[in-house]
Amino acid sequence: MTTDQFLPMDDKSATAVFAANGIDVTPRKDQGVFKVVRRQGLDGDRPMIGDKVTVHYTGKLLTGKKFDCSWERKEPFCFNVGKGQVLKAWDIGVLSMQRGEVCSLLCKPDYAYGPTGNPDKIPPNSSVVFEMELLNFEGEILTADGGIMRRIKVKGEGYSNPNDGATVDVHLEGRCGDRLFDCRDVSFIVGQGEDKGIPLGVDRAMDKMQRGECCLLYLKPKYGFGNEGKPEYKVGPDKEIVYEVTLKNFKRAKESWEMDLNEKLDLVSGVKTKGNQYFKAGRHHQAVIQYQRIISWLELECGTGMEQHKKIQDYVSTAHLNLALCFLRLKEFSQAVDNCNKVIEHDESNEKALYRRGEARLLRNEYSLAMADFQKVLEVNPFNRAARAQLSSCQSKMKEHQEQEKKIYANMFQKFAERDSKTGRMKRRKDESTRSGMNGEVGIKRRRRSQDCPS
Amino acid sequence: MMNEDKVHEIIQRWRETPEDLKPEDYQQFRDVGAACLSGDDGQQLLKFIQDEKNQGIVKSMGCGLLAPLVDELVRNKKSHDHCQTAITQLTKTCSSRTLLESFLELIEDLDPGAISETILVLLPHLQIVLLQLDENRAAGVGLVLSALHKQLSRLPVPYTQQQEEADEHGLCRSCVALATFTRPFIDGVKKKDENCNPTPEDEKLKAEILKFCMLSLKEPLLEAELNQDRKSTLWLFAVEIMVILPAIKESLPGLLFFSSLRKSTSMDTDLSKESAACLAYLLFVQLIAMDTFPAVFSPVFILQCNMEHINQLLSRKKESHLLKGLALFAKSLEKVEDNSLPVGLLDLESFYSAPQNLRQVLTNCPIQHLRESGLKVFQLFINKLDAEAKHKFFRCMLKTSHHAGVEGYIVNNIRSQIQSSIKGEANKWFLGMELLPLLELVLSLPRAAETDLLTNMDKIMESLNLLRCLLMKDKEMKSDADIWEELCRIKDEYLKVLRVCISMSRAYYSAEMKVLKEEQKLRVKEAKDHARSTRLLKTITVKNDKVTHMSPEVQFQVLQSALVTFDLMESLVVRIDEITEETQGKTH
Repeated sequence: MTTDQFLPMDDKSATAVFAANGIDVTPRKDQGVFKVVRRQGLDGDRPMIGDKVTVHYTGKLLTGKKFDCSWERKEPFCFNVGKGQVLKAWDIGVLSMQRGEVCSLLCKPDYAYGPTGNPDKIPPNSSVVFEMELLNFEGEILTADGGIMRRIKVKGEGYSNPNDGATVDVHLEGRCGDRLFDCRDVSFIVGQGEDKGIPLGVDRAMDKMQRGECCLLYLKPKYGFGNEGKPEYKVGPDKEIVYEVTLKNFKRAKESWEMDLNEKLDLVSGVKTKGNQYFKAGRHHQAVIQYQRIISWLELECGTGMEQHKKIQDYVSTAHLNLALCFLRLKEFSQAVDNCNKVIEHDESNEKALYRRGEARLLRNEYSLAMADFQKVLEVNPFNRAARAQLSSCQSKMKEHQEQEKKIYANMFQKFAERDSKTGRMKRRKDESTRSGMNGEVGIKRRRRSQDCPS
Repeated sequence: MMNEDKVHEIIQRWRETPEDLKPEDYQQFRDVGAACLSGDDGQQLLKFIQDEKNQGIVKSMGCGLLAPLVDELVRNKKSHDHCQTAITQLTKTCSSRTLLESFLELIEDLDPGAISETILVLLPHLQIVLLQLDENRAAGVGLVLSALHKQLSRLPVPYTQQQEEADEHGLCRSCVALATFTRPFIDGVKKKDENCNPTPEDEKLKAEILKFCMLSLKEPLLEAELNQDRKSTLWLFAVEIMVILPAIKESLPGLLFFSSLRKSTSMDTDLSKESAACLAYLLFVQLIAMDTFPAVFSPVFILQCNMEHINQLLSRKKESHLLKGLALFAKSLEKVEDNSLPVGLLDLESFYSAPQNLRQVLTNCPIQHLRESGLKVFQLFINKLDAEAKHKFFRCMLKTSHHAGVEGYIVNNIRSQIQSSIKGEANKWFLGMELLPLLELVLSLPRAAETDLLTNMDKIMESLNLLRCLLMKDKEMKSDADIWEELCRIKDEYLKVLRVCISMSRAYYSAEMKVLKEEQKLRVKEAKDHARSTRLLKTITVKNDKVTHMSPEVQFQVLQSALVTFDLMESLVVRIDEITEETQGKTH
């Protein structure tokens, strides 16, 4: 698999040698990248655009001088292919390879380091040769939890993506296993795909797509139709589904800075209502998107005059409170706390904010902090029975926790040994407390509805 | 104090019945040891520890002596040798677990005045203890590293070169010692990686070391002033960290560019964001470890990823952070071709907020050299945008900056864009239909006729200058009749309001001037009378509380220069009118 036989040489003879032995892989056939296959890969098993590919490579000048080598680093190199992350020659070259293939690429300056080169390493206007082995590739993971995987069939153009609130025209084909359950042209507003029967995963992938892109989205149930399934498509609960999506066109929603305040205020109440609808339907992810739009618009506005200022403040704190509630439901407790904090910054005796922060902290096992919050709630409103109930549950949990601590600290080394088993146990305990919290909530809800509804 | 016989008696008991030692015994043992040391009898203590007959006692209670021994070492250089030997003996005899526990306790309550001294004494012994540990070594290393880091982060980071060289608090020395301390663990992991599949324990150790690296990047490295030409101690520490990362199989591209999708580690997000930002700075600006960084990334991608880090750095209001942010911004832009960044990039969150943070630096930062280098970066950023992106960025800045200085600067840039598109290739963004919405933003007064001309002077002067240039290039501008017509409409509207504004402002300031003169006359008169001065002074405060803290002479100058400014604006307006007439004359 060595090509040392070709090196060193000048531009012309290099081109001649590569042209004789290999193929021009550039789309324009301008001889910018020649490829000579050294070892055939698996037939037909090629990466798709956007895939996370893993390669080993050596880069050399035509003089034979090595300037970069992943083998020497003993660490394969990963990147998303076809997205402009690397030299043009690489995007083109790697997309032409098959799994396991080994090849040499002769790259002209326009496809590599250009007229400037790379200081210390590559002189201006240099052709370079890469020895390349395609070790592996897999679809691109779009979310931290790995719930959405994308593979691009046709690359879109430019950098611009539809943002939340953008109007998109797409063609969709939804499959569960081999069965096509949904095939249509549809136009929807990003963040509100739910209204058109579009699963969360497709909606959330929109802001990663470019105009003209056609991709496959592999969705985990959480991003598909969840544990409810979708009877009208005959998709059962907890099913993984695949969507083929073509983004035919879109119009971005205006950025916050492109709108003036009155424009924003006109739109806000509609967005809020939308968020509340989603919340009531149990679509917390979707509700979060709407509430967050309000904050991104109004966070930095102060308006003219006291009245307008107060109006803006009210919208912002309500949005934060609603977000806190959504994140409590989604079990994203630290985000719930953050949102409450934002409200408390302005209004330190906000009953709802204190209560919700207390709830979140309790579920994060921060007992004394939670207790302080509930006590504050009772200072603000001594008749808040829910807070009283939470307070006593805090106390009992705290006691339980203290006993646990005592045992743990009795011998620090036992702690090491127990570390693993403990995390397991803590998790279980957290689940339990969540569950009992929810049961408690039903009772609480009857007494104090306002604390639990988006406002 | 016990007498010698009593001590011997007790020791004898300990020797005979090592199995039923009580907490009191531990305390007593410790007290006797401490007494020995304070009585300059360290030599005797060492003998006791080394005595074959006492090994049982030492094994079970020896750890209690660590604290007094270390204390003695730090305080008293004289007893250095035998204290060191004693600790070494203890680390051989006692169980590693209890040793580690004692060491951790020791670190927890370090004397704030002797943090670095103590750490330097502890490190070699700690290393031995940890290497002796068979089980849970990773957890032990993790606990030790984070405890040590916590103590070190209490020390002030040197600000000047002299401070760093003097290293009064020992932070720099301790950091380097800490890096040396981690080396055997890293070598162990590395060897295993080469030979076979690493065990879960190895993975845990790597995670702990990574955590330590990230902590160190944030503190002290992010706070430190680093300079490639002056390879200071902290610079060398930075190099150490950059060597450790690849050794534990943490690839730099992974940490810098693809971190958002990493499985959430035990670190909180702010920490890892700030640490990654510092890492980017060390790599791209200080060029540490640059030779091991893959050379195949495209400059635009690097800029795109670094923008997150730049944004993080510029969002903090600390000199060290801002300095690093600006340097990273400049370095990342330099690699990109001029006029090449497409408008779509500006849709990315970080491409909006990083320039906004930069703008904050320009307008609010009290440190002059930061504002100066900030302005250079600001211009560099503009230069890299393509025409459409420039257009969008200018619009965004005019709408969001609320600062006449920045606006004036943008207007100036618009003028040079128009000039260069007249000279070179015409583009619709600065010489066609799309120019008009931009001009509309430029040629507007924030509060119409009531605009404060003085605070908005920078923008107004630049705008008038731009108008003048546009009208003088009437040949090019008239090529499209619609655009010309619209341009004239915008211009007329603007000048109409501006004229009203100027005359109102002038009337106001002239009146103020008159009042001031009257008052001065009065005061002169008054001075002659030597009386009733207090009452009159009061009238001044009531009339004009904005300028009362200035002396009348300064007030006079301020008013005078305001009037001069209005004259200047007016003369520009008149000049524009003249040009308009000339160009109309030409067409008719």
